Amino acid sequence: MSSTDTTMQSIPRTGRLVPIVVFIVAIALIALTPFLGNYYIRVVNGLLIYILLGIGLNIVIGYAGLLDLGFVAFYAVGAYTYGLLASAQLGIHLPFLLIVLIAALLGMLVGILLGVPVLKLRGDYLAIVTLGFGEIIRILVNNVDWLTGGPKGIARLDKASIFGIEIARPVDFYWLLLVTVFIVATIVWRMEKSILGKAWAAIREDQDAARGIGINTTNAKLAAFATSATIGSIAGVIFAASQRFVSPESFSLQESVLIVLMIVIGGIGNILGIIAGAAILILLPEVLREFAEWRILFLGLLMIALIILRPAGIVPRSFGPERLIRGLFGK
Amino acid sequence: MTLVFDNLRKQYGNNVAIDAVSTRFEPGLIHGIIGPNGAGKSTLINMTAGSYTVSAGSISLDDRKLSGLKKYQIANAGIARTYQNIRLFDQMTVLENLEVCFYPQEVGQTWKEVIWPPFAKKREARRQDACMELLSFFNLQGYAHAYAGSLPYGRQRMLEIARALVTNPKVLLLDEPAAGLNHHETAELTAKLSELKSQNRVMIIVEHDMDLVMALCDRIVVMHHGKLLFQGTPGEVQASSDVQLAYLGTANDIDDIKAAAQDRRAQLGIRTRQRS
Repeated sequence: MSSTDTTMQSIPRTGRLVPIVVFIVAIALIALTPFLGNYYIRVVNGLLIYILLGIGLNIVIGYAGLLDLGFVAFYAVGAYTYGLLASAQLGIHLPFLLIVLIAALLGMLVGILLGVPVLKLRGDYLAIVTLGFGEIIRILVNNVDWLTGGPKGIARLDKASIFGIEIARPVDFYWLLLVTVFIVATIVWRMEKSILGKAWAAIREDQDAARGIGINTTNAKLAAFATSATIGSIAGVIFAASQRFVSPESFSLQESVLIVLMIVIGGIGNILGIIAGAAILILLPEVLREFAEWRILFLGLLMIALIILRPAGIVPRSFGPERLIRGLFGK
Repeated sequence: MTLVFDNLRKQYGNNVAIDAVSTRFEPGLIHGIIGPNGAGKSTLINMTAGSYTVSAGSISLDDRKLSGLKKYQIANAGIARTYQNIRLFDQMTVLENLEVCFYPQEVGQTWKEVIWPPFAKKREARRQDACMELLSFFNLQGYAHAYAGSLPYGRQRMLEIARALVTNPKVLLLDEPAAGLNHHETAELTAKLSELKSQNRVMIIVEHDMDLVMALCDRIVVMHHGKLLFQGTPGEVQASSDVQLAYLGTANDIDDIKAAAQDRRAQLGIRTRQRS
């Protein structure tokens, strides 16, 4: 058995055409968006928030292989952190960036608090418990009226500003979100490539064998949970600041399911796939607005088609950011 | 560096799987554990590696008690193993399967790897050099970037042994490394394992292939119904009428033991072929 017959099984190297086309289209879309009407910029902002959420949840589902159905809870933690610390609700008006920091730490803390008891569970059991957790958070904010305003939510949140520059128009949030997505995606991608990312993959493939090579799986999984929760919480802050209103109905189970769907349809474990999945699931309903009542049917058909035609998602794991960069710079 | 079993016991309810096993495994030697089906060979391996808990007695490496530690702690104490049914990280590349073994010593500086790319590059290069060397030793370098799950069965066995060796363990536990291998691959395995013999390493092999065990092992422990029946050199084991009785029920010569073992191997071969 010689080593030459293995090249076919190796991960194929891509040509340069696809990465260059993807790059040019992306730059063109990014540059053109600010010239669209406010309505369309808002749609794109929504897309960017879902990309942020997808990147966060993908750490747990795609990298570490843990099915978390309660991710929206961390999104709510971030949104309500902004709602409470930048409004007349408690009479507290902290600056935007400070709240981002507080929400990030709070998200991490809640992630660890949830992670410690549930990470012993696997597969379906973990999915059910996290689903319950997501619902508990939503029901909690719905009922603690004196703090969260209950079902009415919290309105008239402060306008966000960074170093004296007001972030209020949709286009301001567009740039803020774009920068955030870029930074978060880069950090998460570098985590995936790090030794911790490899340990996550090992846990996903075979948890017991991972322990057998000396990986403290509890700690590695907690790290995944905490990172994911932090990102969800940051996304929540930006969401609340852009809506200037928070209420429990933004954090329903459907949101968690939608983010999971984005990951599965786009390409599990791959940041580029998540961007594609978010684009399809968020933009398609806008394009097909006239056929709104058919939306779920479309989604169902899309899922069936994908399972048959592209079970690894639209952009499979093997076409990750590394391939894109390698294609662009010709290495 | 000696692995010591002291009055070791494993019990499931009223069912005693391992009963009062005391023995020592010395470095620089290859130890075989043999015995009929259900004798408790794999249970010993699984207890040593921390996959099963110890009901009573203790396992220690030098003066350090291992029994009672968590599985990952036992691994970090220098115990590495392979599995009876291969357990690789299928959707990771061959190289990544080995690289991930550096996790315990490198995880502390993950943050630096994330924020400072040159550091990550340097570290990755060092990691990969070490792993490629090991892959070359097992003639797997051509597969480095293939997914582990896509390798032929025999190569997967080799890769699993390579993975166990990345961190240069003090104890190497091999659970039926020759199961499902053809004659050519078994010969290659035997050669590689004898090369791996080192003064700094205790090697323990559970195996049904008697030719391999007799050719490779310096000391053999014979298990029977969860008890330690006999231990000695291959010659002493072959001469022992106790051992022959345990295998066959009647005292007979080593050829009969070999024939019984051959049957078992044929069964295993069929099973693995169906699986892959």
